[in-house]
Amino acid sequence: MIDLRTVDGRSLGGQLIELAIWLGLAGLMYSQTGLFDREIPEYLFGATSWPRAICIVIALGAIGQFAHQMLLATGSGTDGGGDRRVRGRTIDFAKRIAIFVFPLIWLFLAPRFGFYLTAPFFVLGMLLLMEVRSPFNLFAVTAVVYALVLLIFTRFFFVALPVGRIQAFYDVNVAIIGIARLGI
Amino acid sequence: MDLFIQGTLNLFGDWQAISIFVFGLLGGMIFGATPGVNMLTLGAVILPFTVTMLPEHAIMLFSVIYCAGVFGGAITAILFNIPGAPENAPTCFDGYPMTLRGESGKAIGAAVSCSAIGGIASAILMMSATGAIAGWAVRAFGPQEIFALIFFGLAVSASIGAENLWKGWLSVLAGLLIATIGTDPVGGIPRFNEGGLFGLTFKSYYLSAGIHFIPIILGFFAVSEVFSQATNIAMGTRVRPKAGLDFPSVVDFWRVRWTMLRSVAIGFFAGILPGIGATLAAFLGYSQAQRWSRNRPNFGKGEIEGVVASETANNAATGAAMIPLLALGLPGGALTAMMMGIFQIHGMEPGPLIFINSGDLVWITFAAMFWANVCIVFLGWLQTKTVVHLLRIPFRWLAPGILMLAIVGAYALRNLFIDVWVMFLAGIAGYLLRRTGYSAAGVVLGLILGKLGESAFTKSMQLMDYDFLGFFGRPVSGVLILMGMAAIAFSIISEFRKRDRDADAGA
Repeated sequence: MIDLRTVDGRSLGGQLIELAIWLGLAGLMYSQTGLFDREIPEYLFGATSWPRAICIVIALGAIGQFAHQMLLATGSGTDGGGDRRVRGRTIDFAKRIAIFVFPLIWLFLAPRFGFYLTAPFFVLGMLLLMEVRSPFNLFAVTAVVYALVLLIFTRFFFVALPVGRIQAFYDVNVAIIGIARLGI
Repeated sequence: MDLFIQGTLNLFGDWQAISIFVFGLLGGMIFGATPGVNMLTLGAVILPFTVTMLPEHAIMLFSVIYCAGVFGGAITAILFNIPGAPENAPTCFDGYPMTLRGESGKAIGAAVSCSAIGGIASAILMMSATGAIAGWAVRAFGPQEIFALIFFGLAVSASIGAENLWKGWLSVLAGLLIATIGTDPVGGIPRFNEGGLFGLTFKSYYLSAGIHFIPIILGFFAVSEVFSQATNIAMGTRVRPKAGLDFPSVVDFWRVRWTMLRSVAIGFFAGILPGIGATLAAFLGYSQAQRWSRNRPNFGKGEIEGVVASETANNAATGAAMIPLLALGLPGGALTAMMMGIFQIHGMEPGPLIFINSGDLVWITFAAMFWANVCIVFLGWLQTKTVVHLLRIPFRWLAPGILMLAIVGAYALRNLFIDVWVMFLAGIAGYLLRRTGYSAAGVVLGLILGKLGESAFTKSMQLMDYDFLGFFGRPVSGVLILMGMAAIAFSIISEFRKRDRDADAGA
């Protein structure tokens, strides 16, 4: 008998969400193939056959995967080892979300304010999210990483990183590049 | 033999050639072993400087970087679970669990020795039979065989690194689907560069060029690993790896001798075929080692045979990849494509005549690849004793540096910030896939082989007049397709048997 609470260590709801995501992805991509469904004179199957075939196989695979988990639960007749989810505190949950959201915020800001100006704040933010609290460590690691990036990529390899779209910040970024390349 | 000796004398009789050789060796190892950048980054950066070099020195430099870079990628795979290049991805499966057990020295030692053995064997085979092998590979391998080989490779490698067969296949299929973004291989029609849903529409010129695999690889491996470790640190559940300095014993190597031989054969064969290269070689080597091993249940938990298989196979592909490049002018991968660029810069054309017109260039390259692999043994041993100390640096200090390198690596590829977005989104997706038992390596395998597979399939269909049974009309493709189907059937049966065993154990 299927335990409605857990299947293979994850909740049935979780399995259903997984199935829905795969089916949704396959359905969405399949529907978008209609936008480039044009004939190619020298190829009978056209531009859509390959991605459509993959979408169909993904949908079948997702159903197979779900059925497999159901069979696993039926076969074992157990609760699959119990609910292994860790019910953390709200603060832990917030920390985990911040680890993913912080780089995305930085990605939004970096092209506007420039890589050279925002990079130390990115390093500092990541260190804080990784529970580094000592002011000396925060400063030292940020300084070392930033100096290495400037030395290797700006001074030696001349990699053109974004300098910002806002004039004032653009000037600051260019000044940092100038300092990194002093003497060249 | 005389030509090899002459090549060696040319290499070591000139201080400039020696300097370039040492630079390539150290550069390849360092860039290969640094998370976030790889040998391609180094190749792209120094390509313009090759204009001023002699052509034989420039080609020799890139061939040495190739050998050393493929080896270097194993270090980060073993120490941090971040492969330096896609061909090192299977090394993570057993290398990182060995590090967590305090056997990092043993794992790196095995990777060093087997990389060198694979590379040396490949160099010897390359020197002895380049012309004959290249001719055979081109005659026997048309689009049908290439497609059949990719199908076979995916069939045997799909479930590697995933919780079960279904999740393995879904991971590979996701990679194949991502690979369809861009233009179709026959008509050049842009795919998925515009979309519309519920009245909302978008158009992206970036997507017309397709999604490059480098940001995806950096995202799936480097960024998702940092996210994974960061959340473990935040939750207080991180297991700290231990540094171990033991080198594997002779007995350890003797135990895996057949795995090494098998992986050399697989790697060399896969390396000859243009475009297939070291990635499929490593996955095939690993999956076959798992299939034939007596310690099969230990795979994925820190089995040294897994490290041996993937590292021997991917390095065995390096020498083989030079065969189609030199003999036919067909680059097999990104770095060999850069070598094509060097030939063009110097007004040369690789092909059968290169052995007659530019014998010096060919043999200094062969000699350099051979000696680079010999040097890897010694430098690798030294690296084993030193690089494992990186584990003593807290990961929370290294992580921002790894992310910074990954950001610069992804951006510098095409000077597009959107590549950095792709990398971070792939990192989040990779984190979620790993947490739910899917295989990030499977997605990357699908992504790399997807375009090549579709291109081979479309050409096959045109050649066979759209008759699917045409694959069975050619012996090599027929056998490969049948073997692939048998591998899928075998995997499904094994999955059901495993289910029954689990059920019996639970009863």
